[in-house]
Amino acid sequence: MPRRREPRPAPALELKTTRLAGIQVILNSAEHAALNTHLTTLFAATPDFFGGEAAVFECGRLPADAASPDWAWLAQELKSRGLNPFAVQNASPELAASALQAGLLVLNDAAPAVATVAPSPEPEPEAEAPVEPPAELPVRTPTRVIDKPLRSGQRVYAAGGDIVVLAAVNPGAEVIADGSIHVYAPLKGRALAGARGDTTARIFTTHLEAELVSIAGVYRTFDNALDAALARKPAQIRLADASQIIIEPL
Amino acid sequence: MATIITVTSGKGGVGKTTTSASIASGLAMRGYKTAVIDFDVGLRNLDLIMGCERRVVYDFVNVIQGDANLHQALIKDKHADNLFVLPASQTRDKDALTEEGVENVLKELAHQGFDYIVCDSPAGIEHGAVMALTFADEAIVVTNPEVSSVRDSDRILGIIQSKSRRAIEGREPVKEHLLVTRYAPKRAHEGEMLTYTDIQELLRIPLLGVIPESDAVLHASNQGVPAIHQKGTPVADAYLDAIGRFLGEEHPLRFVDYEKPGLIKRLFGGK
Repeated sequence: MPRRREPRPAPALELKTTRLAGIQVILNSAEHAALNTHLTTLFAATPDFFGGEAAVFECGRLPADAASPDWAWLAQELKSRGLNPFAVQNASPELAASALQAGLLVLNDAAPAVATVAPSPEPEPEAEAPVEPPAELPVRTPTRVIDKPLRSGQRVYAAGGDIVVLAAVNPGAEVIADGSIHVYAPLKGRALAGARGDTTARIFTTHLEAELVSIAGVYRTFDNALDAALARKPAQIRLADASQIIIEPL
Repeated sequence: MATIITVTSGKGGVGKTTTSASIASGLAMRGYKTAVIDFDVGLRNLDLIMGCERRVVYDFVNVIQGDANLHQALIKDKHADNLFVLPASQTRDKDALTEEGVENVLKELAHQGFDYIVCDSPAGIEHGAVMALTFADEAIVVTNPEVSSVRDSDRILGIIQSKSRRAIEGREPVKEHLLVTRYAPKRAHEGEMLTYTDIQELLRIPLLGVIPESDAVLHASNQGVPAIHQKGTPVADAYLDAIGRFLGEEHPLRFVDYEKPGLIKRLFGGK
């Protein structure tokens, strides 16, 4: 109901709904040893990847008869890596009870349960798990934009998204993105798109002169000079059949 | 307020020390009180190029460690008024350069009213080179017209942009200048060398000058007189132009174009 608002001092406390952006920690296993090993390897190269984001344990993929994980330990491990887990979702009553005891919240109105099909043979890192982001936790990583030349020895990484480079990528420099790479200048260094395995990632440049290009781990070097139709020209690089690098003029 | 100029390159043997000596001399000749510091501890050369090697008593490391004061260690140049040399130590290694010690010496020089402090960086990207660029306000990147030198200059520019105090504290970035040295217009024209425009296209920083390859440089080093004092030589003129540009003047580039020798020249020789 529209109502004229009189100017008055803001109350000491206000309640409003909010949408919380955060990270889902999808549990495929509740076993301490397996979790510990995977946590260690996942964060080995990028211990500072997270900066205090809120996190929720997604339990929808745990087998129905799974024992409760050691919530307190798991929460502490994630905290030490910059994630702040505060709740569980899609938990069975037993899991929910143990989580409550460990001081975690239980989200009732949880997102649609993660497809409870057989767990993928190889548990993937959370960021690329093929899960539809639930409405409460919109996941969109802003595109990273670089407007200064990348020089030999410099390396930039766009975690979880795309990168746009507006200045030259010089020989010996590295651009890495989990998504696609756009270079609106000479690309003379290395470009690695789909760094976490996204085979649909692509590389675009207005001046192809790269030392190496890679998409989802499939790479190509240019020891032999590039085709004259492509060298120093606008080009896109994509992956065909998940295993073959295709370079096309733009 | 003193301006700290670091002369650096990444690669060795491209002319950092020659350039440091000439730039420092050039600024002093313009009337600015200038100090030039040799950061190449353990491989000191600047004193030779400046011709003051026999007058070194105390050095940079002595001052950092408090064994001598700055006044005792600074050597007054005999070619230019207003110019003082702070030599490196030959018997220590670069670990003797502490960040705090270097900062104190630079502050003390600023306090003594120096207008410009030129830091002659060692080659490489290790501790000594990083110490020389940490406090830079401006950087002169010395590059030869060949790919390895350009690559190393690119690398050192990246380091300036990440490790200098100005970068770390988020202040206005270090002002970068490109100085191409040992340039042979004929060889560049014939495609044996990169041209200065090739270099600039890759490094993308403003061009301060192009110093031609010349025997005068070797001659100057052997005599212990900075090349900028070799009056009338292209090298000295090119350095004088570079000083002018550094101070904001406009000078057209000289000694960069190759002219085919005409018939008369070919018949009668001459340079």
